[in-house]
Amino acid sequence: MMKSNTSFPGRLTPIGLRGVLCALALLLFLVLDLSAGVLVAPTVVILSDKERTGRITIQNPTAKPREVDIYFSFGLPESDSLGDVRISLQDSNVTDTRSALDWIKAFPRKVLLAPNGSQVVRLVANPPDSLQPGEYWARIVIRSQDGAAALPLAGENNQITTNLNMIMQTAIMLKYRTGELTAKLELADASALQRDSLIEVMLDMANRGNVSYVGILTCRLLDAGKKEISHKKIDLAVYRDMKRRINLPFLPGDFKPPYQVEVLITTEGRHDIADKDMIFGNIINRTLAVP
Amino acid sequence: MRKSQGTYRALMMVIAVAVVTVMVLPSAARSQDVAVGSATATVLAALSVTATQALAFGDVFQGIPKSVANTDAAAGIFTMSGTANAGISLYLELPDYLVLADGSDRMVIAFSTTDASVDTTGGGDPTGMVGGDGYLNINPFSLPGTANLSNLGAANIYLGGRVIPTVDQKAGAYSGDIVLTVSYNGT
Repeated sequence: MMKSNTSFPGRLTPIGLRGVLCALALLLFLVLDLSAGVLVAPTVVILSDKERTGRITIQNPTAKPREVDIYFSFGLPESDSLGDVRISLQDSNVTDTRSALDWIKAFPRKVLLAPNGSQVVRLVANPPDSLQPGEYWARIVIRSQDGAAALPLAGENNQITTNLNMIMQTAIMLKYRTGELTAKLELADASALQRDSLIEVMLDMANRGNVSYVGILTCRLLDAGKKEISHKKIDLAVYRDMKRRINLPFLPGDFKPPYQVEVLITTEGRHDIADKDMIFGNIINRTLAVP
Repeated sequence: MRKSQGTYRALMMVIAVAVVTVMVLPSAARSQDVAVGSATATVLAALSVTATQALAFGDVFQGIPKSVANTDAAAGIFTMSGTANAGISLYLELPDYLVLADGSDRMVIAFSTTDASVDTTGGGDPTGMVGGDGYLNINPFSLPGTANLSNLGAANIYLGGRVIPTVDQKAGAYSGDIVLTVSYNGT
């Protein structure tokens, strides 16, 4: 029987196909390697007086073992006067009355994750009896680095060499809830100003509930005919007071002044947090004129 | 001929499935509920941080400072991946010195106010980053408070620096730690 030696016009020959498959295998390997790292899920852990234990999963999809340490810290999203948000972690001497740092424990606290391995870390809350209704917070910090960190070797001829260990920390929010819970946000102040080709929206928010207000903030820039020029949507978490700056660009188009910004803040529509873990609260709708 | 075409189609199908698998990988971190018939699975939102490449100075000579720019191929690279467009808070702890393994000598390492870049497109290549890709040449001690993951759920930090050996710096291998802390600021 004659061996088929057919090639498809304008297509790859079997040899070419083998090349493509080899290249694809290499690409797969590279992508897997590049996207590798210690992965932590979920990104928020909710405990309560009815469910005092929880868990997170840590995965090591890399081909190298990883040393992982788990510890607790305290840090809330805080804003500066420019409306930028930062989280500063505090490991000790935490005086915040909403801190759960002293009564949350993790098991295990140190793990050597094998290549492609995973580990469930269990979390247990032992709160004091005198807790007021509301939410208490801590950050679960997962610290990882290569498990087989080789000591750097001096170069030939007694040269000086360097080795920087790149250590990664992921800080996950833990919330402990007790009693009757209320999510309520107040928009204390809001303004919209034109700066060059941007509209800068500044929102001053105050949490009036006893839990963190977690939701979505949407800003839409509209022209005189209510035609949308641009919009921005961000995940929002307000623990106490927070100032947020949103920049809305003027996208090209046939738009007529005066312009206005519609602000919508709601606890609906978060897809990264299970509904059972959401505390639904008030909705804020505000329209701001752009001077 | 028909058999070859069938083999070809099968191979192309394998390639297509593999390509889709690769494309879907980054989105595995997104949260979603999947329900098929009576089976339900919840994919939890995840956050991943990777040190893709260490900051590398190569060989260093006594009395001759050596710099690596954050746009250099030898820059340190961290890669973050998670929920698309999520706001993240970033904090870098950087060393003042690198030390010999036996602790007998140390070498100054310095970071200037332009030694970091945050690539919010998740491009991953420090040499190809431009201003429109995020925050170029910023202070590593004060990373931006409004950084977001890209619409594919990725971002990178590129880090440069400078080592300053003394004229009588001991030969040997010096090491130090660079620590990046990442958290979502919308949860």
